[in-house]
Amino acid sequence: MNATDFYFESSMAQESTEIARGLRRRDPDLLDRLIERYQHRLFRYLMCLTGRRELAEDLFQETWIRVLERGHQFNDKYAFGTWLFAVARNLVIDHMRRKQPASLDGLLNDGEAAFDVPATGQASAFDTTLQREQNEHIAAGMQHLPAEYREALVLRFQEGMSLEEIASVARVPLGTVKSRIYRGLSALEPWVKGAAL
Amino acid sequence: MNADAHERARKLIALDGPEDLSDDQSSNAWLAAHLKTCASCRAFAENVGETIRGLRAIPIAAERSLVSTTQMRVRRRALELQRQRERRWLVSVSCTAVALCALLSTVALWRGFEWLGARAQLASSIWQVGFLVFCVMPALLVGILLLAKDKHLADHTGSYTG
Repeated sequence: MNATDFYFESSMAQESTEIARGLRRRDPDLLDRLIERYQHRLFRYLMCLTGRRELAEDLFQETWIRVLERGHQFNDKYAFGTWLFAVARNLVIDHMRRKQPASLDGLLNDGEAAFDVPATGQASAFDTTLQREQNEHIAAGMQHLPAEYREALVLRFQEGMSLEEIASVARVPLGTVKSRIYRGLSALEPWVKGAAL
Repeated sequence: MNADAHERARKLIALDGPEDLSDDQSSNAWLAAHLKTCASCRAFAENVGETIRGLRAIPIAAERSLVSTTQMRVRRRALELQRQRERRWLVSVSCTAVALCALLSTVALWRGFEWLGARAQLASSIWQVGFLVFCVMPALLVGILLLAKDKHLADHTGSYTG
């Protein structure tokens, strides 16, 4: 391990310890800061799992209430983000179980929900439009993927999590994570090429 | 070139991304050599690159109102939990105080009855029964009063309905 790695690891460990201490105290100021910091990442993850904005918004709020109530369970040996995503994931599964006995595998496969990509505003430049179209193709492809593949892709490439962290969030072996990412990307290939449109 | 080589190359590309390869230098060198000679894996790498760039660019963001509503809800819940904790603390302190007082007063009463029994030259079984009756009496009285109150209320209500 070089000096830079050591510096980052020790500062991350220190930050986790401070977060754990604040969560045990149920410090509302700390929670405010955490909500600000993780707002987009958590919301994106919930959108990816549920595919519905309203549901993702409800679960976003529930996740933070759960973080407040169960904050003492956070182990500062791990990154806070990993624990937060695991909490959110459990809430999504609970929600789906209440609706119908199912696991994450059954999410979004009924064809009703859509991976809702909001309009980005007034895109006038050609490149922006092209890029937006490309993103829409990929988003459309995402809605056809099984939820566990979507989850692995979002955590890996949007959230930049390591394979080990994804395995810890999804509670599956490392090999399963690798195969989900590989299969997810392979399944998205036709949408990137535009062949399936 | 066998199918395993393509599979290996595609997995390396998929897991680490075409631009952000793993720390394993020998794998990277092998992949670079493979990509030079394999057009299909090169195309796969380009597609994966596009997909990852596309995934990173999907504009999904939490709205400001959602964030502020969540912060408000969390603060409110934190306050509720704080009050609940204070109430629980108060109740447990009160229970401890009552238990201590009951213990001390029982010991004091026992000693008092023992002293009275000795003064009146009574057999120990007699003052012990007296002590029991004295302890049970308040509960008995309250029970009788409650029963009487219930009966009174039943009679009273019965006079209206009857």
